[in-house]
Amino acid sequence: MRQRRTSINGDMADLSDGDLIAHLQQRRADAMGTLYDRYSRPVYSVFLRVTRDTALAEDLVQELFLRVWNQARAYNPQKGSLGVWILFIARNMAIDYVRSARARFSAKLRPMEEAEYRPATDPSRNDPESTIDDLRTVQSAFSYLNQNQKQVLELAYFEGLSQTEIAAKLEEPLGTVKSWMRSGLSRLRDAIGRGGDK
Amino acid sequence: MNHREIEDQVYELYVLDVLETAESEEIDAHLRNGCEYCQAKLLQARRVGAALSGMANQVEPPAALRRRVLASVAPRAHSRYWWYSIAGLAAACIALLALSIWSVQQNKTVTTQLAHMRAQRDQLRSALELMSRSETRAVQFGNLENAPQGRVFVSRNGGIVFVGTKLPSLPTNKTFELWVVPATGAPLPAGTFRPDANNASVNITPPNINASGAAAVAVSIEPAGGSNAPTTKPFLIVPLA
Repeated sequence: MRQRRTSINGDMADLSDGDLIAHLQQRRADAMGTLYDRYSRPVYSVFLRVTRDTALAEDLVQELFLRVWNQARAYNPQKGSLGVWILFIARNMAIDYVRSARARFSAKLRPMEEAEYRPATDPSRNDPESTIDDLRTVQSAFSYLNQNQKQVLELAYFEGLSQTEIAAKLEEPLGTVKSWMRSGLSRLRDAIGRGGDK
Repeated sequence: MNHREIEDQVYELYVLDVLETAESEEIDAHLRNGCEYCQAKLLQARRVGAALSGMANQVEPPAALRRRVLASVAPRAHSRYWWYSIAGLAAACIALLALSIWSVQQNKTVTTQLAHMRAQRDQLRSALELMSRSETRAVQFGNLENAPQGRVFVSRNGGIVFVGTKLPSLPTNKTFELWVVPATGAPLPAGTFRPDANNASVNITPPNINASGAAAVAVSIEPAGGSNAPTTKPFLIVPLA
């Protein structure tokens, strides 16, 4: 796996995620440019997929990066990679938006510290490319899922619906929905696992 | 529940927070025991969960958003403009304060001038009223080329109006003072006045001065503010008898 290091001239583009967060913790605004370039596309895509509103998606992106900037010192690399952390927070923000009856995200966003990060005993891949690679893997593997598997995964991920709620929404038996969910997740998990072994 | 009863995809659903409450609470309880196996599963599930964002069609955000985001986290760049703004605002406040003070002073000046003009108007109005009375008599004085000339109007009721021209020049720290000279006794101060640009003046005795029995009126040059008794020899004495 290619290792990224801080260059002598301070070029941020090649920083590893670990070095990048260290720079952010030192309040170096130039590191934000690299962070943005690395993760703005996937988080913007999630926000746009959930809100269907470009202006709102942009607001959420700005809010997300502002939170990362302000809470960078609270980030513990032993609890997961930076990319997973950011995408997890982005998804929580999107779901909070969906679940907000008033659809006013600013009043409903969870504090970043409440993000669900339990201690990691095996922070397997923590290099900067792993998360982006995972995204590409899912994008590729997703196209091989059948329509039912795609639908239940999208409802769970982008709308935060439980399996029971999905069953009710699709008017399908709960067992069927669980089966679609299980098989869909299994294929994506396996694809990511294979990607990690390459 | 132990981890052997947890299917793999449940970990993903758990980190996505889409499990039923009861299921979620069971896993919470199990994790509180510090199960390393499940912690590792959760880590993997979290990675899968993050990667699920790849299900969204990947869209490039607008270029302007990058500038907006970076601008929002660049306090130093902003702080310079912020201080410029504060300095500008402070300068504007100071200028406004100075303008306010100047305006107040100007207002006071205008108010003072207005009050002075009103006093002059009231004095002239009173003078005209006295001069128009049928019982008022006029005593003319001065017939020399460069000497004060004018008239003194004496009302039977006691009022006196002094109208004079060609009055002598007056230093800025001095004033003219009109005196009512009774048949006996000391002169009574009847008001101070300054001539206009033509060295002329109209003056009327104050209401509290009874000039009905006056023998003469006189005008002297006194210190600014006037005197209770003449401090200089009157340059003008007009007999009224």
